[in-house]
Amino acid sequence: MPLFELGMVLSPDFGDEEREAFLAEVRQLLEGQGCTMVKEDVWGKRTLAYEIKHRREGFYTFWQFEGPGTAIAPLEYRLRLSDEIFRYLTLNLDRELQRKRKMDQLRADRKAAKASAKAKAQAQIQAQAEAAAEEA
Amino acid sequence: MAKKKYFVKRKKVCKFSAEGIDYIDYKDLDLLRQFVPVSGKILPRRVSGTNPVYQRKLTRAVKRARVMALLPYVGD
Repeated sequence: MPLFELGMVLSPDFGDEEREAFLAEVRQLLEGQGCTMVKEDVWGKRTLAYEIKHRREGFYTFWQFEGPGTAIAPLEYRLRLSDEIFRYLTLNLDRELQRKRKMDQLRADRKAAKASAKAKAQAQIQAQAEAAAEEA
Repeated sequence: MAKKKYFVKRKKVCKFSAEGIDYIDYKDLDLLRQFVPVSGKILPRRVSGTNPVYQRKLTRAVKRARVMALLPYVGD
């Protein structure tokens, strides 16, 4: 199942308890759709780059979760309905990280090939030295 | 006669291919700000030297950051 990332900007007028209740509701919705949370990255209150609904601050959280793609539509529907949520952004991280993973793999393979070639060359040198010592 | 001005040409390097950054995260503001001056505009390739592949990724990341109010649409 693909890995998703959900970024949310919530209203600063939201009390801590209310916000937690709201986030718990979203979490529950996700879990009901068969998703599992992977990571929660809470940035907290932060100045916005521009005013949204006449507010200069927003509460930022970023979640990562694994689940079926069918969970996204109900999730975004719920987020759109809420007044307290300024912005949200869902990304399919598997698709985003495809190239990075490929390149990381490539680099690891190259490194391994280099290391094994080096080890081989060293073994050869040692074998040659041993042969020379035996001859002498 | 006016004195001819000489400039030392500095070799431009693509930061992303040089440092092996394959995924540009829209949350990585320290990185994005290097390519977005106070004006809020994205630096062109001709200035930053970024490779075409990474310039497209960078553009996308900056635009995402704008949606999330992490970067301004219009700067000062």
